[in-house]
Amino acid sequence: MNKTFLVAFREYYENLSTKTFWLGIFVFPIILVASLVVPTLLEKSKQARVFTVVDHSGWLHKAIAQKIKERDISIVLNGALEYWLSDENLPAHYPEHLDKLRSLVNADNLNQYTVALAAGQSDSIQLPAKLTESINSWRESLTQAQARQISANLSAARFHMSSVLATVTELNDALINEDLFAYFEISDDPLNDETALIYVSNNFTDESLKYWYVSFAEEIIKRKHADLFDIDDDVALKLTESLHVPSRKITNEGKQAQVDTADHVHQWVPVAFVYLLWLSVFSISQMLLTNTVEEKSNRIIEVLLSSVSPLQLMSGKIFGIAATGFTIILSWIVFFFIAIKILPLALGMPLSFDLTFVVSDLRYIGSFIAYFMFGYFFYAALLVGMGSVCNSLKEAQNLMTPVILILLVPMFAMVPVGQDPNGVLAKVMSYIPPFTPFVMMNRAAGPPSLFEYITTTLLMLVSIAFVFWGSAKVFRIGILLTGKPPKLREILRWLRAPVGTAPKKTTELE
Amino acid sequence: MENALELAGVSKVYGQFIAVDQLSLKIPMGTIYGFLGPNGAGKTTTIRMIMSIIYPDQGSICVLGYPNSEVIKDRLGYLPEEKGLYKKMKTLDMVAYFGTLKGLGFRESRQRARNLLIKYGLGDWLNRKCETLSKGMGQKVQILSTLIHDPELVILDEPFSGLDPVNVEVMRDLILQMKRDGRTVIFSTHVMEQAEKICDSIFLIHRGQKIIDGPLHEIKASGGHGLQIDYEGDGQIIRSHPDIERMNDSGKHAEIFLKAGRNPQTLLASLIGKITIRRFDLSEPSLHEIFVRAVGGTSDE
Repeated sequence: MNKTFLVAFREYYENLSTKTFWLGIFVFPIILVASLVVPTLLEKSKQARVFTVVDHSGWLHKAIAQKIKERDISIVLNGALEYWLSDENLPAHYPEHLDKLRSLVNADNLNQYTVALAAGQSDSIQLPAKLTESINSWRESLTQAQARQISANLSAARFHMSSVLATVTELNDALINEDLFAYFEISDDPLNDETALIYVSNNFTDESLKYWYVSFAEEIIKRKHADLFDIDDDVALKLTESLHVPSRKITNEGKQAQVDTADHVHQWVPVAFVYLLWLSVFSISQMLLTNTVEEKSNRIIEVLLSSVSPLQLMSGKIFGIAATGFTIILSWIVFFFIAIKILPLALGMPLSFDLTFVVSDLRYIGSFIAYFMFGYFFYAALLVGMGSVCNSLKEAQNLMTPVILILLVPMFAMVPVGQDPNGVLAKVMSYIPPFTPFVMMNRAAGPPSLFEYITTTLLMLVSIAFVFWGSAKVFRIGILLTGKPPKLREILRWLRAPVGTAPKKTTELE
Repeated sequence: MENALELAGVSKVYGQFIAVDQLSLKIPMGTIYGFLGPNGAGKTTTIRMIMSIIYPDQGSICVLGYPNSEVIKDRLGYLPEEKGLYKKMKTLDMVAYFGTLKGLGFRESRQRARNLLIKYGLGDWLNRKCETLSKGMGQKVQILSTLIHDPELVILDEPFSGLDPVNVEVMRDLILQMKRDGRTVIFSTHVMEQAEKICDSIFLIHRGQKIIDGPLHEIKASGGHGLQIDYEGDGQIIRSHPDIERMNDSGKHAEIFLKAGRNPQTLLASLIGKITIRRFDLSEPSLHEIFVRAVGGTSDE
């Protein structure tokens, strides 16, 4: 055991000074930070889409503009209401005189105030005319950056309506020169024309402007149609309203509860962990394979074998590299924890959902660490046995191909298993040792029953012991072999053959 | 305990191939013992079995009085034929690492490694990586790694292979020094001349079977005398002489055995004038001759 430790320690110590190790330590945090930061930065740097409208009807665009104004004011009031309700002062980027509404607006009359403010009708809600004016002019002069401070949903945060009047030909030129992102052309009679309005743009990937503008147009035209056919406003509202179907779940106490984003995240977090598990098991056991082949081609093995037994050498290597891998993974976990706590603050943007449960929930982190161990020891023992018969990395890579194919199966099964963590596929795959660690991690959201946890763990331990035994037999012979790597049939014979007349142990000593 | 090593009826078979066949051998303490034989004769297999790296299929091996060398690995030193170093490790670290693997404490191991390396002229290389060493220095570091724990029995597999004359000299001095220190040294080689110069005893193996073993002087004395000739000219002239029974010719030097009852002087007289003779003496046969005779002229060399 002592010698196993010495071998392991040397492996670990040497690995600390390799580039691969430090790459392993830093790559994940860099990817993590990038995946959190880059989309935000991209979103922030996105220019407001410049568009304009050619309105042949003379009325539809005005109505749409009014709707947009209402939506903006509603967003601002809703934002302000949150501050008022928690007794906080409005931040400076809110309109100057808005605080006068603090005592007046509440959740019930917010719509009423929105409509009145947008229409400039201060009388009906007894507002000083100055206030409505200042809020409207504040909205008109809002820049993209200012708008984003309040909400990314404010029209100014995403789109900019150019008020320059121009002919269609001029607009087409502007489109080609990319001065303009898109324009709408509203027909003479949008209520009766088959095509009420057309959207002209050369960008087909980002159609957010189209959907946004058209949603207002649609609402207005539907209302007008309702008027034409003498349908009551309330009826029209009912008819145009889409069906609202909330999702519910049953808690452990047997009660119904709302399903929120966190629940969806919970369901899919294991998938992320499977990726990570796969990546770490694969790369770290590959590290062991490379290391074994290198040491063999270095001819240092036999010197070592005069001091340590093949089993000690093999397990020393496996544990040494396990320690290396574990160091990398622990650093990842620590970094992940720091990142989800600190990054959102540093970037001034809250994550849309709370991820802390991932690190505090034993089901995920515990499973991850346990299944990393199982997966690593299983594949490490397999690969070290394989590596022992290879003389060069090229030979080793040929032997790796079937292993990679096996490893791909749990990758392909990831989505189906994630969707149905306690289904037949998931249950059956949990009992196939090469897949067990990945599939059980995949099912963590299920979660599997305690019985399954216990039986698969036992199965895994037995399989690891079996692979260790087999690899040790192959290793003992293979590591001293030079020349052509042996055929599979030959390796199978090694497994069956006795290791020779093993000398009697301690009993025969003096 | 008289014998450092005893083998009794040891066999090892790889598939259809018998690598070592019914081998029995006794090696006394404190001697330099040569394992001789052509390539593939079974030397390395025998050595690996002695080191418990592989196990025999039959027979028993007793090392330093123990039937299982695994428990006394720390008292053995082994330098395999295929020698390697951890390229990225520093010289001192590597020698010390092998010390710890042989059961030395961490501090003691480093101290001994430092002393050994300085003693053998590698003091300036203590903190250099092994990959920066020259081949000769690398060999030194390897052998020091096998000696750091003061082994009682040292086994060297082909220690001279791939060395230049200067380093052969260094290696030979090291082996002789080990004997002076009271260690038993076993080394294998397929180059008979090297063995002849330093061995006390030898063991000849061919196709897995023991041909001959014992003290070198006894083996040589039992072989009858031969003529050693240094010459210049056509060797065929000597070979075709009717008095000659056998001849080992190396071009400039020949070892000659006469038919029974023939006089060396007659041979010398008949050669004069035909070829130039620089040396003509009567001495014990070479190991090569003993080997060729023993295997019945089927030497693979």
